[in-house]
Amino acid sequence: MALLEVTDLRTHFFTRAGLVRAVDGIDFSVEKGKTLGIVGESGSGKSVTALSIMRLLPTPPAQIVSGSIRFDGRELTTLSERQLEDVRGRQIAMVFQDPMTALNPTLTIGTQIVEVLQRHLDLDRHSARRRAVGLLEEVGIPRAADRLDDYPHRFSGGMRQRVVIAIAIACEPRLLIADEPTTALDVTVQAQVLDLLDDLRRERDMAMILITHNMGVVAESADDVAVMYAGQIVEQASAHELFRNPEHPYTEALLAALPDLDDTRARERRLAAIPGRPPDLIDPPAACRFAARCAYAGCADSCTVEPPALRELRPGHWVRTAHPASEREAVAT
Amino acid sequence: MSATEIAGRMAGVEAGAPIRQSSLWQDAWRRYLRNRGAVAAGIVFLLIVVWCVVAPILSPHDPNRIYFPDAYQGPSWSHPFGTDQFGRDLFTRAALGGRISIGIGFGATVAILLIGVVYGAVSGFVGGKLDNGLMRFLDALYGLPYLPFAILALAIIGTVNFWTMVVALSIASWFITARVVRGQIITLKENDYVRAAKAVGVRWYAILGRHLLPNTLGVLVITIFLELPGVILGEAFLSFLGLGINPPDASWGAMAQDGRDAYRAHPHIIIIPSLAIATLVLCANFIADGLRDALDPRTRET
Repeated sequence: MALLEVTDLRTHFFTRAGLVRAVDGIDFSVEKGKTLGIVGESGSGKSVTALSIMRLLPTPPAQIVSGSIRFDGRELTTLSERQLEDVRGRQIAMVFQDPMTALNPTLTIGTQIVEVLQRHLDLDRHSARRRAVGLLEEVGIPRAADRLDDYPHRFSGGMRQRVVIAIAIACEPRLLIADEPTTALDVTVQAQVLDLLDDLRRERDMAMILITHNMGVVAESADDVAVMYAGQIVEQASAHELFRNPEHPYTEALLAALPDLDDTRARERRLAAIPGRPPDLIDPPAACRFAARCAYAGCADSCTVEPPALRELRPGHWVRTAHPASEREAVAT
Repeated sequence: MSATEIAGRMAGVEAGAPIRQSSLWQDAWRRYLRNRGAVAAGIVFLLIVVWCVVAPILSPHDPNRIYFPDAYQGPSWSHPFGTDQFGRDLFTRAALGGRISIGIGFGATVAILLIGVVYGAVSGFVGGKLDNGLMRFLDALYGLPYLPFAILALAIIGTVNFWTMVVALSIASWFITARVVRGQIITLKENDYVRAAKAVGVRWYAILGRHLLPNTLGVLVITIFLELPGVILGEAFLSFLGLGINPPDASWGAMAQDGRDAYRAHPHIIIIPSLAIATLVLCANFIADGLRDALDPRTRET
């Protein structure tokens, strides 16, 4: 049984402008010790998915209207706030995007790590502090013992993200959700932080959900990949399979949008962009949500009228389109 | 901040010099000291408090001894503030009255803060329907005139002493504080670090107590000195009307009331407590101004 199983999750926002279907029926699972990458552009529902699992969305306006989230066989959607508080940090922890704001500027980092340790583990202050030093060393903060009583403003962005990670893994959670952990960081630091996360995952046999809009990040550290578009998963496969045989036109377009630095002719071309914008999630089209931007959807197509179902093209390779790459070539020839 | 100051700081950072923990409060203290009016007000305020505490202890005069031959004396060496219609030494009595006035003032201010902080923090933290309900209730209370309400409260309680005065003066004056705290909490709880704390399972009371309330401390310190003058004036007003502390104890308001009968022939009896009230209120206002400039980040480094 998988560590985390999400089935038919729908998280909607009840706003004045109308019902926003931010996450609209997604299924995925994360195996013990594996990394699932969730990719998609802004507003595709990646973060809402993560926050739904953590049950951290403000209710109202957000509400999980249907679906189930099972963690280690335990249903999370029906837990009380009290029970959730024991799950958060202990079983599932989260790393946020911006390390500049994720730490309380008025408390020392030592205080903030000790807070979590004492919250979940039965530790006195002294041993909690010793544990905190160990954690800081583990995430690569030099002179950890001296820096325990420093305030967050004394750390650089990359170092702060390491502190945030130290807080997240402090109580040895079995699942770590990293929501764009490198987006706010310098390019030079991004790889270090990703490596750190990957090392920690391996050493602690921890599962990870890595949310990003960067295909390169996914290629580097994910075992499986789910591509999200407009609140739905449009393609899901192992990372190896997805990058070798992308099936969905959207995945293809995302991969084509990556800059290729080796090809000199490509360097002179403009970067490929996907025309159009994602649909409005208040009133999403009844048909395929990608149809308006899809290069293959013709006006005579069924996919401009009714939505294509998610189907398994090859074992473990799911796709939601009427025009997967493998079937397309067959039509063309 | 001047260029050399910036350079000086940078040098410190490069040398790895530790920035002290309370840099926010130290910064604020430095800015406060630069405000000469506020510093002077603070010193006068402290002097008055020290006088109120010390003078009755050191004074050779019994403040409550009635001795008619000494009545209505002007200021002299043995009675620096003169005497009242019963021949009591006003220097000693004014200090004792100050104890009561300032004591009630601080007592009521603390009560205002307690009620205001709890009400505002709960309202802002819980949010939603509860917040809406609590705020509408506050809107309704907001229309209450503060002094008539205090008189009413005293009438309902029936007895007048230090603590009933504190209750009467705070019961209708915590509304602004509650609103300010609610606003602060709502702003603060949107911070990412609050969500991050929730994401690792920190309980709501720890979030409120460790991550939210300490950050409102600056505002609360200002509120103390903003509320204090109003409360002290309110107490003086009630005592002047004869609704305050019972004789022979006296607050400054009650002493001014004593001097009202003879204000033409012996004006010092009414002038001395009035001056004391005016000075204290003025000082509190100056201190509040200075603190606001010192603690408000928007006025920083101007």
